[in-house]
Parts: sequence; C-alpha cells; structure tokens
Amino acid sequence: MRSRSRFWFRFGFLAPACLLYGILVLIPLVQSFQLSTFRLSGLSDRREFVGFDNFIGIFKNGTLAQALQHNAFLLVGAVSLILVFGYLAALAAGGAGRMAAFLRSVYLFPHVISLVVVAILWQALYNPQFGLFSSVLRAGQIEPPVWLNDSRTALPSVLIAFVWYVLGFSIMVLQAGLKGISPDVHEAAELDGAVGARRFWNIQWPLTWSTRRIVVIHTCIGAMNTFALVRLMTNGGPDRATEVALTYLYERGFQPNSFFGEATAIAVINFIAVLLISGLVMVIFGRNPVEARTR
Amino acid sequence: MTRLLRGLFLTLFAAAVILPMVWVVVNSLKSTSEIISTPWALPLQPRWGNYVKAWTEGSIGRYFFNSLLICFATLAILLPVSAMASYILAKFPFKGSQVIFTGFLGGLMFPQFLVIVPLFLLMRDLGALNTQWGLVLVYVAFSLPFTIFVLTGFFSALPDELAEAATIDGCTDAQTFWRVMMPLAKPGLVVALIFNIIGLWNEYNLALILLNTPDRFTLPLGLANLMSTNQYTSDWGALFAAIVIVMSPVLLAYWLLKEKIQEAMLAGAIKG
Repeated sequence: MRSRSRFWFRFGFLAPACLLYGILVLIPLVQSFQLSTFRLSGLSDRREFVGFDNFIGIFKNGTLAQALQHNAFLLVGAVSLILVFGYLAALAAGGAGRMAAFLRSVYLFPHVISLVVVAILWQALYNPQFGLFSSVLRAGQIEPPVWLNDSRTALPSVLIAFVWYVLGFSIMVLQAGLKGISPDVHEAAELDGAVGARRFWNIQWPLTWSTRRIVVIHTCIGAMNTFALVRLMTNGGPDRATEVALTYLYERGFQPNSFFGEATAIAVINFIAVLLISGLVMVIFGRNPVEARTR
Repeated sequence: MTRLLRGLFLTLFAAAVILPMVWVVVNSLKSTSEIISTPWALPLQPRWGNYVKAWTEGSIGRYFFNSLLICFATLAILLPVSAMASYILAKFPFKGSQVIFTGFLGGLMFPQFLVIVPLFLLMRDLGALNTQWGLVLVYVAFSLPFTIFVLTGFFSALPDELAEAATIDGCTDAQTFWRVMMPLAKPGLVVALIFNIIGLWNEYNLALILLNTPDRFTLPLGLANLMSTNQYTSDWGALFAAIVIVMSPVLLAYWLLKEKIQEAMLAGAIKG
C-alpha cells in the first residue's frame, strides 16, 4: 500500500518536468540529427530524404568553412587574451584593498547585462563619428579606420567586444581557483623563497590547472556559439568578413527563404566541432601535473 | 613597485568594465548632435526627454511589460515544477532516477542552436509560434536543467529527519513537501530565482526565432529592433536611454545579491 502511494507520488512530482523537457528539448534534439539528412524548405511541407547531401552541399559552397575560420579566430584570440588578462585580473583582484574589492564587485557586470546591450554598446564605441576608439586616435592625430565597416578590422573589433563580455566570468573562476590553494602551500613556498614571478609559475599556475581547463573550455564553447553579438554588431558583414557558423545557420534557416534541412546540418556540424575542440582541449591539458607529481 | 603596478592594473581593469557603461548613461542625457560633437563631455543640461521618448515612441514601455509578463509566467511554472522533480531526485531515488538526473544535466552541455530548427517546426505545428505562452513553455523547458541541478543540491543537503518527523505527525508525502521541505529550501529557491531572472530578462536567441510581431517582443528583441530602426532615424540619445532602461534592473539585482550569484555561477561552471 505504502510503496504504491510512493509510486504515484514520485510519478506525479517528476512528470511535469520530464514531460516539458522531453517534448520541448529531447525530442527536438533527436529530430535535429534526423532533419539534417532531409531536404525541407519553409514553403512546402514535403520532406525528402537526401542522406548526406546537405552536408556535402554546405562544404562545396564554402561559406560555412569561411565562417568556421572566423569562429577559430575568435576562439584562439579569446583564449589567449583571457589567459593573460584573466590571470592578471584574478591575481590583482584577489588581494586586499578597496580597489580590489571594487573590481570584484563589478567584473561580472558585462556578463549579466544582455548580449544585445553589449552589442549595441560596442557598436557605439566603434562609431566612426563619436566612438571611443576613433576619438582617441583622432586626439593622437591618427586617421582612424572605420572599425566594423572595414573587412580587415571588423573581426578583431568583434573579438575585443567578445573578450569584454566573457572576461569577468573567467576572472571569477580563476580567482576561485587561486583562492582554493591552501595557505600552507603558500607559507612553505615563501620559506623556500618562491615569491613574485617564481611563486606564480611554480605554485599558482600548476595548482590552477583544473580551473584553467574550465575557463579554456568555456571560452571555446562561447566562441563557437557566438551569435547575438555578431548578428547585432555587424550582421556577418562587411562582405561576410565576420560571418560565424551560427549567423550563417540563421541566414539559411530563417531569412528570407528557409532551408531547414541545411540549417540543421550546420547546427550538427557546429555541435561536432564544439565536441572535437573540447576533446582537443582535454588532450592538450593532459593529466593534472600536480597529481602526476604526487603519485 | 609591485604594489604600484597592481594598483595600476586594478584601475585599468575597473575602468575597462565601468567606463563604457558610464559613457552610455552620460550620453543618454544628451541630444544626438551633442553626442556627435562632444561625445566625452558631460551634458550641458540633462535631457530626460530621451527616456520618455525611448519608453513611448521607442515602445520600450511595451517591451518592458512583455518581458515582465514572460519572466513572471516562466518562473511561476518553472520553480514549482523543478522543485518537485528535484525533491524526488534528491530524496526518493529509485531505479532509473540517476538516468533522469543525468538527462537533465545533459541539457547544460549542448548548444541551443542544435535544437532550434526542430523546435521552430514543432512550435509551428502546435500553433504556438509567435505566442507568449509558447515562449513561456519553451523558457521553462530550457531552464529546467540548471534549476534542477541547483535545487537537487539543496534538497540533498536537507536532513532526512525533518521529513520523517512530518510523516510521523500524519503529513502525506506531498504535504511534507509543500509545508516542510519547500520553506527549508528557500535559500536554494532564491538562488534559482535570481539566476533565472537574469537569464530570462536577457534572453535573445529563442525569442528571436519564436516571436515575430513587434507588439509581443521582449526587451532584448525590442532593443535590437530599436537599434535597427536607429540606422534610419539616428536618435542615439533615445537609444542610449533604452539601453540604460534594459540594463539597470539586472545590474541592480546583481549588485544586491552578488555573493549568491557568484556562488551559483561557480557551482554551474565547475559542474558544467
């Protein structure tokens, strides 16, 4: 009697969450792999199985390959900048003092305001007439480029905005990692004379191995899934110079004609790319150096 | 020397974060011609009219109301539904409950865009495209993984004795949950609430795909819309005012609860 009532209790409590999640997340997830092998447009409801034709077509066209290169640029650029500035800021913000406390309370601001706000804000900062960068260069008697409207400067400009957005999160994680190092280790190191740069390279860098891996993977995923920022800052332009995988997906899938099969194939390719890159990061990071040493 | 260097770094980092936002706030009080001629000066006289213009002509008022409605409806469904599921997963494990929990956690791993086309087609077939209730249900479903992750952790940490005592006192399992466990899990619910409010208030991708008439737009969508019309009207003062209206509620919420938010984000980062 009791166990049966527990069954209905469990069932009733779990069912709403499972139903919503199953219908709106899991089923579409399975369908997306299926859909990528069909030809299906927005105009008619006819679905036609085409095997890998969508994938082949996309690679022959070449735009996705170009877009993925831009994702790769954002990825490499962001990871490098974030490792340098993330560690610098995390070390600086970790200490005592009012300025450090202030930085600790504001560094997540860019992360909690909407990406739409970030995009418009940076579009304004890059404005050729009144933006920050043009004003500074003009004050130094240098003729500024047109930033987002020049295919040479557009992608690096987007990169800076992207780093501004994700840096706070990385500082937070790295700072938690640095804080997690036991004071005993620091004391012992100090007795051995490891201070300043030596302390960083011998203690803090190796002992934040796992937090660093989280930051790098998080940044890689963010770079591969960039969408709103690019769509609103440049819409992939000028002349596709900032096109990334997901803005291309949106173009194929939702405007002005809908090639749903092809758009899904792009989503699948992007997902596989994210998995491969995460795997690659895991391989590059290898075993935790500290664990290996203690064994 | 190192102290001086550290102070310099701190100032530079803080300026890089704060300066662009302060700049927007200052320029939201200027006319467009003033923004263009003296972008880095204080306004001659503050033009509060920009805010009125953004709120009415720019429809930010309507978008604000839409966002409030959608956030409220989503949370009203999301919190009880995920608390109930988390309670079972944390306190009444059964054969297969670990699979269900892993299934929810898996939702933190894959990108939204992987499901966006099938989701669009599903919503179209259900007649839920371009409806606010459709968007609310999608938001609930997509917020479940993180919310269940946070709440399961909280329920696991609650002692079993309390629930047992309530059962001995004659409460049914459901009564025990609503009257005893839910109030005890309040700190967890607050974290989940704040975290979801920020995410929902800022959400753009799903709303972009699922809504298409401006009078139903949420704030991020409406702001993006305002930006694209700004290319023709060039009213930067009103656009900056709109940005301030959109970002201030989240910044305020963050400021009030920053320790809790950082805690939750760290937990999510380390697990996800």
